[in-house]
Amino acid sequence: MTKIVRAGFTFAKNCKNAVISTSVRAISITKQLNLKELREHTEGTTLVVEGVTVPSPRTALLVRAENLSGYVPPESSEKKPCYMCALGLDVKHTDVLILSQFVRSDGCMLPRRITGLCSRQQKKIGKLVTMAQKAGLMINLTPSYCHKDPKKRRDYKKFNTYFDEKTIFWWRIPKPTDKFKR
Amino acid sequence: MSAVKRAQQWATFARTWHIFDCKWQDPYESANVIKKYLMGLHKPIYHPMNDCGDVVVCINSREIALRGDEWRQRAYFHHTGYPGGATWTLAWELHNKDPTMIIKKAVYRAMKGNLQRRHTMERLFIYPGEVIPEEVKQNITNQIRQIRLVPTRLDHIPEEEVQKYPKVMDYPEDYVLK
Ligand SMILES: [Zn+2]
Repeated sequence: MTKIVRAGFTFAKNCKNAVISTSVRAISITKQLNLKELREHTEGTTLVVEGVTVPSPRTALLVRAENLSGYVPPESSEKKPCYMCALGLDVKHTDVLILSQFVRSDGCMLPRRITGLCSRQQKKIGKLVTMAQKAGLMINLTPSYCHKDPKKRRDYKKFNTYFDEKTIFWWRIPKPTDKFKR
Repeated sequence: MSAVKRAQQWATFARTWHIFDCKWQDPYESANVIKKYLMGLHKPIYHPMNDCGDVVVCINSREIALRGDEWRQRAYFHHTGYPGGATWTLAWELHNKDPTMIIKKAVYRAMKGNLQRRHTMERLFIYPGEVIPEEVKQNITNQIRQIRLVPTRLDHIPEEEVQKYPKVMDYPEDYVLK
């Protein structure tokens, strides 16, 4: 354990722009699917640990509205819409293949600085993720203490539940045109 | 009456047996569909005095889905007739006791309360699982289309298909994946 902590410490010292989150867990000696990958090798008696930037596995599959055929660019005076607004997808809570891209491995919604959505889309996707989790559609993306199988949950939670997207409180979600007036 | 006409007459008035898979279906939405087949409302020869209703077999009634928080919000009322004999059972408690009861009560409530209703209900068969008796299975000739799509769980989709699926979100460059 001390070795891991020390490795993380040198890593933080050596790399200028390395992003280290608060826990030690962010540093792993074994290979994992990181955008920053950690590699270590011995040169003589010294142990060299280096952080290497790895290309994202998603870049090749990325869908953007400006790359699609029938794309009309917005007027220059308007603010550029975020990528989800530009795509204009009708996402339902059962579209787990889309929603799982916005969550961490424990099923938590990623913050806005990482997803890069506008506040309206961020709230909407966050609520859809909650719906999908409550319906038990993403049980492989849950914390370790969670009852994975919905059938093994307690009381009313063990029965199937579906959600209606119309029941989302849209009036609480700010529109992209909304601005604070002073 | 020619042979063709006789066959047509037989086909018009014969009872058809329909099957309905209740998996992930809202019982109150599907009751309106089942009702039409039970009463024969889908037939051009329908008349209230005309006994032209069909038989509907519901399977997988244990797998029904209720919307939002309805499992703990919806209460079923019963009164024994004695003072203090009123009980309110929540939907999930009722479903624990009898997984066929919710769909049965939903279809019963969807129909108009007249003398025909209880006889029409006799033509509804509900089974909690996929196993149905052989003599019932032999009669089935039609399947009623489900109203809602059955959702697919993420862990049931193969891993490579999840990897290959087009992505909308990309991580920032300095993101450490957790
Ligand atoms: Zn947006």
